[in-house]
Amino acid sequence: MSRKIGFAGVLVLVLLGAIVSGCIGGEETTSPTTTEQVTINWLSTQLNPPEERAFVQEQLLKEFKDQSGIDVNFVPISYSDLATRLEAEEQTGEVTIDLVADLHGGLDFFNSQAWLEDLSGKTLEGRTFISTFEKYATIDGKKVYIPWMSATYVMVVNKKAFDYLPAGLTQDDVMKGTEKWDYNALLEWAKNLKEATGQPQLGFPAGPKGLLHRFLHGYIYPSFTGYQAKNFDSPEAVQMWNYLSELWQYVNPASTTWDAMGEPLLRGEVMLAWDHTARIKNAIESNPDQFVVVPVPRGPKGRGFILVVAGLAIPKNAPHQDEAWKLIDYLTKPETQVKILENVGFFPTVQEATGAIPSGPLKVLAEGVTAQSATPDAVVAMIPNLGEKGGQFTDAYRTAFQRIVLKGEDPETVVKELGPQIKALFQEMGQEIP
Amino acid sequence: MKVKSSYIPYFLILPAFAYLLFFVGYPLVQALYTAFTQNGHFSLATVRKTFTDPYFWDALKYTITLAGVIVPTQVALAIILALGVNRVFKGKDFTIYALTIPLTISDVAAGLIWYSMLSPSGFLNKLLLNIGLINNPIYFFGYQYRHMEFLAIVLAELWRATSIVFVIILAGLQMISHEYLEAAEVFGADYWTRLRKIVIPLLKPSIQSALIIRTLFAMQIFGIVWILAGRDIPILAGEGFYRLTELKEYDVASIYALVIAGLSIILGALYIKFMKAEYLEVRG
Repeated sequence: MSRKIGFAGVLVLVLLGAIVSGCIGGEETTSPTTTEQVTINWLSTQLNPPEERAFVQEQLLKEFKDQSGIDVNFVPISYSDLATRLEAEEQTGEVTIDLVADLHGGLDFFNSQAWLEDLSGKTLEGRTFISTFEKYATIDGKKVYIPWMSATYVMVVNKKAFDYLPAGLTQDDVMKGTEKWDYNALLEWAKNLKEATGQPQLGFPAGPKGLLHRFLHGYIYPSFTGYQAKNFDSPEAVQMWNYLSELWQYVNPASTTWDAMGEPLLRGEVMLAWDHTARIKNAIESNPDQFVVVPVPRGPKGRGFILVVAGLAIPKNAPHQDEAWKLIDYLTKPETQVKILENVGFFPTVQEATGAIPSGPLKVLAEGVTAQSATPDAVVAMIPNLGEKGGQFTDAYRTAFQRIVLKGEDPETVVKELGPQIKALFQEMGQEIP
Repeated sequence: MKVKSSYIPYFLILPAFAYLLFFVGYPLVQALYTAFTQNGHFSLATVRKTFTDPYFWDALKYTITLAGVIVPTQVALAIILALGVNRVFKGKDFTIYALTIPLTISDVAAGLIWYSMLSPSGFLNKLLLNIGLINNPIYFFGYQYRHMEFLAIVLAELWRATSIVFVIILAGLQMISHEYLEAAEVFGADYWTRLRKIVIPLLKPSIQSALIIRTLFAMQIFGIVWILAGRDIPILAGEGFYRLTELKEYDVASIYALVIAGLSIILGALYIKFMKAEYLEVRG
């Protein structure tokens, strides 16, 4: 009998041990190595999902080590953890992070806290950064980060839909993003498609995990009002919401259940769709001859679209700055950039890379993205960096959409109610309203 | 080591108790703390915030309505199926296998299967269009078609989770001794009388377990609704998840979790109180 009790006791101890060690053993303790072999710490909020992480570790960093002999400790991390750790290290002066990768908004914030080195004097051979990215990476004359990868949201067109173009709009207008390719033309086109096929053929990712809010604040709002949030409750905004309610008659109603448009496009449930490049990539890959990627339409104030830019920055007083620069050099080489596009679907930030993409589905995607970036009437929107409040920002747009377009409430009442909430978020964070 | 034998039962439940303490008790306390404090002080602000959000009441309403429609239907269906299967016929084993297959399918997978069957270009619509019963596809999904989404969720849940009830009921049926039934037959009781007076009363413990399991799971319903209806049909678990992952409102998400826990405890207690199992031998 006593043996049984002993066994139960051991079981409890083992269980306790497992829990305790699981709780407090997860903390990471890294210190810069002082031996000849240098290991640099690269903390990244990007490429965190397991398969992307594996690509970084097994392909990129392996090749980098072969070329330079430098070991890299790649640490995937969330934005809030990165901010906390960077703050702690910069304040105590014991910096262990050599390189950070984050989106424009995050790096902009780190820079405002004086946590980043100025990269102005340094040069990278054999590549030209796309000027829009270069412009955003330089803040108040300081080169804050090196643009590394980019992504955006585009429209995908099933080639069959070109048979139903409205009068006066050509396929070329759509593919190149001319003046004629505007939101009214989209409405006409969607209407034609519904009348001809009997079913609504336009789709948006309006499901709970879909990115419809990006369309609202980064695309249609800037196109109609010139700004993402500044004119949230302006008369132009009311006009925009009325337009969207009208357009919604020609949108597949199941949109409110879709999180990504790749599948609905492949299943043939819609012929026109808007979504993030990564979320329609599978449709283009399975059927590159069926689909084209085109710029988004324009509105009265221009062609609003979001550019997502991830950059590489060196924290102030980082211990291995030269080695970190070598890694930046490697990561922004045209060949590496093409490799990143092929494996994880982020677009290059250097011009030489776009030319080096082999023909096929990725070329289809890259051409659409480039056409969109190159439109002369572009109103570029950057996703605001509100940290934890980011969710509340996007939720306000989604709520407005739900109340106005789905429930049919009066747009003016809704925007007057939500506008101050959105603006208060930026004021709380001490940021200019975009 | 000599231990008083009266302590032994306590030692034996210690591992289970420790497990519950760490994996249920600790998170529960943490959730209570997150939900009812602000800056370290007791506060009802989060509760007020949650209860004034129309999504919360919608979620509560839909969670309970879904459970109210799905669970009784499942139990009725499972009893009918179990009675049908609980006799000797050719292909009995195959029928049982076929009926229990959905048991192995996760709710997300079940949601996807039903989504592709019911979508406008899916199997059901194609079939109906081809045989000329309808001219336009029937829409099951989208905010405008919430009642159809509700139906789709009920169908998918019936298909997926009736099998667990079926298995429990069938096991209960097989435990009923034939002696009772034979005795009743001797006294001239027909099928319906035997069912009413013997089978159903003896099945009560099984029905009770099945009801408890299914109702508690119904309070946590998530994957199927999330896939078939998104947030068109808000449900407690889905809203809690949305608050946590999208809005980072840990406090509000805790309230949702506590509401689910509270509902489960109350319903479980009610079942146990009002559905006392009956044993023929004991009934005086």
